[in-house]
Amino acid sequence: MTRRTDNTTLRTGWFVLIALGIFSAGPTRAEHPEFTIEIHNHLFLPAEIVIPANTKIKLVIYNRDATPEEFESYELNREKVIMGNRKSVIFIGPLAPRNYPFFGEFHPDTALGQIIVK
Amino acid sequence: MLPTSVILILREVLEAAFLVSMLAAVSHGLGLSRRWTGPGIGLGLLDAATYSLGIDTVSGWFDGVGQELVSATMQALTYLLLMGIALLVLRRARHQDARTGLIPALMALAVTLAVTREGFEILVYLYGFSSVIPQLLTVSMGAIIGAGIGISMGVLLYYLLCHPAIQRAPAIGFGLLALFGAGLLSQAIMLLIQADWLPSQLPLWDTTAWLPEDSITGQLLYVLVGYEATPTAIQVAFHFGGLLVLLVIAVLIGRSSSFPVNQENAL
Repeated sequence: MTRRTDNTTLRTGWFVLIALGIFSAGPTRAEHPEFTIEIHNHLFLPAEIVIPANTKIKLVIYNRDATPEEFESYELNREKVIMGNRKSVIFIGPLAPRNYPFFGEFHPDTALGQIIVK
Repeated sequence: MLPTSVILILREVLEAAFLVSMLAAVSHGLGLSRRWTGPGIGLGLLDAATYSLGIDTVSGWFDGVGQELVSATMQALTYLLLMGIALLVLRRARHQDARTGLIPALMALAVTLAVTREGFEILVYLYGFSSVIPQLLTVSMGAIIGAGIGISMGVLLYYLLCHPAIQRAPAIGFGLLALFGAGLLSQAIMLLIQADWLPSQLPLWDTTAWLPEDSITGQLLYVLVGYEATPTAIQVAFHFGGLLVLLVIAVLIGRSSSFPVNQENAL
């Protein structure tokens, strides 16, 4: 009887541990400052945004073109396809103060921009 | 537009091509059939087409980070498949186990996942030009050139890895797979950070001044070993932890004296 209780306790313990593990692996759900960029005619508008240093931000990108674009930045370690007429979300930072260029991989001649961290 | 499409497609094709080459060279060394390559690539192209059609839906999953999660899952799964392949090869080397049917199946699956991920991006890119025929022709030309270069580099790697000197030391082939697999794991972690599913941190170091990620060497190393100029602590931990596990298996495979090197078929 005692052993069974121990087993149950142990099982509950494992369950809580696993649940915690899954929960902690889920979205961190913290509130992050939000910034918005739009894509028009394969251009980023605005092409520059200023964000605070050492802060994680939520970058919302609206692709107003009918064609897909890929947001890419080596400096930010970010890469994401955004289909035509769609909105997309990319989390960026925390970052040290400097300029971080990004570009649209599908139209790299025109789709250029940078994030200025101050 | 033409150079852009050549480079874009080359980058995408290269990763899948290198994986196919490395696995085909391992098959060759083990004296296994390489007939899994066709179905693996074919299924990958089919998956890529399906994924590109469903990307609108997938992108919306999990508050808009579905794309990151699907890619990260595919990359992490590829890492696990490479580990499974290495473990099966190790068991075979140690126990003279002739049952190897699972190895080609896992190889085909790993290639399917790689082709799905890379093919999807190429298809979405080409789709963007589908309404303007002259543009579509130009980027398609670029796609053919880029794919041609990528596949040629893959074939070159395959013949290099099939060289008798390298085939005699199976740890080399598996060591290369270990570097490649750990890179995939690191990329998966980066995508989870991008999706805000893992905490993001300031980078541990910055090697951009030594080797920029957008240089040719940087890009090649990104494809081969997941080179990252500004990695965070979580990424580094998974990258090197994942690498260590696969390298240990590679060394054990190399040490197994009974490893059946396929001498007759050596080129």
